[in-house]
Amino acid sequence: MQLRTFLAKDMKTALTSVRAEMGPDAVIVGSERTKGGGVMVRAALEEPEAPSLAEEIGEPVNDFDADYHNTLIRRLREKPAAGRRRFDRSELLASFARHRLPDALGHALAEASAKTNLSDMTLALAAAIDARMTPAPIDFANAKAFLLVGPNGVGKTAVAAKLAAHAKLAGRNVTLIAGDVAGAGAVARLNAFAEHLDATIATADSAFELATLTGDAVAQGALAIIDTAGFDPRQPRIAAVYAALAKIESVDTVGVLSALTDAEEAAEMASALTRIGVSRLIVTAADLARRAGALAAAAMTPSIGLAYVTRSPFVAGGLETLTPLALSRLLADSEQESAQ
Amino acid sequence: MTLKTLGPRLTAIGSGKGGTGKTFVTVALAQAFADMGERVLLCDADLGLANTAVQLGLASGGDLPGLLAGNIALADAVAHIGINSHASFDLLSAPAGTGALADADAETAEHLASLLKRASGYDRVLIDLGAGVGAAAMTLAAYADDTLVLATPDPASLTDAYAFAKLMLRRTGGRAPAIVVNMAAGAGEAKRTADALIRSAQTFLKIVPAYLGFVPSDVRVVEAVRRQTMLCALYPQSPAVAAIAALAGALGGQTDSPQIAPSLR
Repeated sequence: MQLRTFLAKDMKTALTSVRAEMGPDAVIVGSERTKGGGVMVRAALEEPEAPSLAEEIGEPVNDFDADYHNTLIRRLREKPAAGRRRFDRSELLASFARHRLPDALGHALAEASAKTNLSDMTLALAAAIDARMTPAPIDFANAKAFLLVGPNGVGKTAVAAKLAAHAKLAGRNVTLIAGDVAGAGAVARLNAFAEHLDATIATADSAFELATLTGDAVAQGALAIIDTAGFDPRQPRIAAVYAALAKIESVDTVGVLSALTDAEEAAEMASALTRIGVSRLIVTAADLARRAGALAAAAMTPSIGLAYVTRSPFVAGGLETLTPLALSRLLADSEQESAQ
Repeated sequence: MTLKTLGPRLTAIGSGKGGTGKTFVTVALAQAFADMGERVLLCDADLGLANTAVQLGLASGGDLPGLLAGNIALADAVAHIGINSHASFDLLSAPAGTGALADADAETAEHLASLLKRASGYDRVLIDLGAGVGAAAMTLAAYADDTLVLATPDPASLTDAYAFAKLMLRRTGGRAPAIVVNMAAGAGEAKRTADALIRSAQTFLKIVPAYLGFVPSDVRVVEAVRRQTMLCALYPQSPAVAAIAALAGALGGQTDSPQIAPSLR
């Protein structure tokens, strides 16, 4: 039974509202004068009898595999609820604006999406993103050394721990090297991670020491993961120091950026990182960002590959890949985003 | 009349919605019936989350699981509740805060109902049905001689009370619960609440439930519940106590057997 209460200035208005909102079958079950001189009317409506639960379920399911199979087939045949929107450039641009995507990138993407001639907006955008985004997952079995660089507070140490955990799962020995000697507490945190992950830990006070430690680890067949102090890659002088580190033999430099950064800043940082030899990015805090601008801008930075995104500061939260289609959904399906 | 030999009169109190004051009303009714001279057993059939003992500030509220399992006799499964200067009554419940009997189904409820019907040491058994309209609650509601549905002026409580009435009607093939309105600001509000429920039942279910009475909203009730004491012990003069006594009278009047007067016992 539906039960609703209507407040109106007089009985006639109240009854009109009842009919309009609950239909001709509604029954007035109560009415009274309110203190302000109006009326309060309570109306009830019985819904059509729903089939009882037992009838709905039908025969008890004995073959769970068959049932699961049927459910899957049914789901695959169903039209997806979202993502069936027709391509509309202005709608797409509005959505980009909501995500704070840099203007130049937004217009370029909208143009490229239009040129695909795909009628489905999500697919058109995914195709456009695909042309600009290079997935660059890590081959943990054969990787030698990773130097993690990026601005302060983006979660480099947690990323180091996540990489170490993945390498461990791939059967590798891991040496964690803290190049972050200036950063308060960073060594301690890395130590704590190393203990849990059964990884070797070393601290390096100079570039020379860092190179030696890395060389030793690689010679022993271990994966060296180097955590560094945060810095602004757009500052040429400091960037030069890290560019030198990136040149250490067998080191693969991985940039770490946060999805919580302003999108323009993220784009600038990402392209500054490419200049010091970064070829791969890991974007953190994807779960915390309500606007995907920074994530998208970083992922589509020319000559940089997106390795992973992370959704959780916890080591167990892991590293996730981001496909062009997933990023397209994130950027185009703004309703979902704003509904959250 | 031989009604007495058939065992006690079963009075079940349900509501559908939680938080309507079922436990309080049931306990107060038990005390009222006891004070009227009846031998009363209160059965907390909120099988998952029994809390009558907590409301009464007792360490133990009896061993309902033991009785259902057949490990213990009814006389040993109950706890005696004696508030000074008031007549005592017995309580049968599951241990509070254990979730024992949380999975009780219609079969368990039927078993319990048959045990209660044979409890010939009592004149009346009050059954607190707990929240919800699950199979166990509706089975006991259907087995009881009198079934009350407790509603408050809260619209959500009205729809849940309606659902309770509808399920009971379906279950019994024509019996409707009697309406008691709790936490009403006054007689007018209580009447309007009951009328809304009666009109809905009349229109959609083609039955006319009886309106038994109301218990006024009273801060002293809240305080008694917080203090884990009986209202009649703490505030014997409160309007809620009088209202409960009137309800007990109305329920006694419904039986066609003469009430057992204290002088006859």
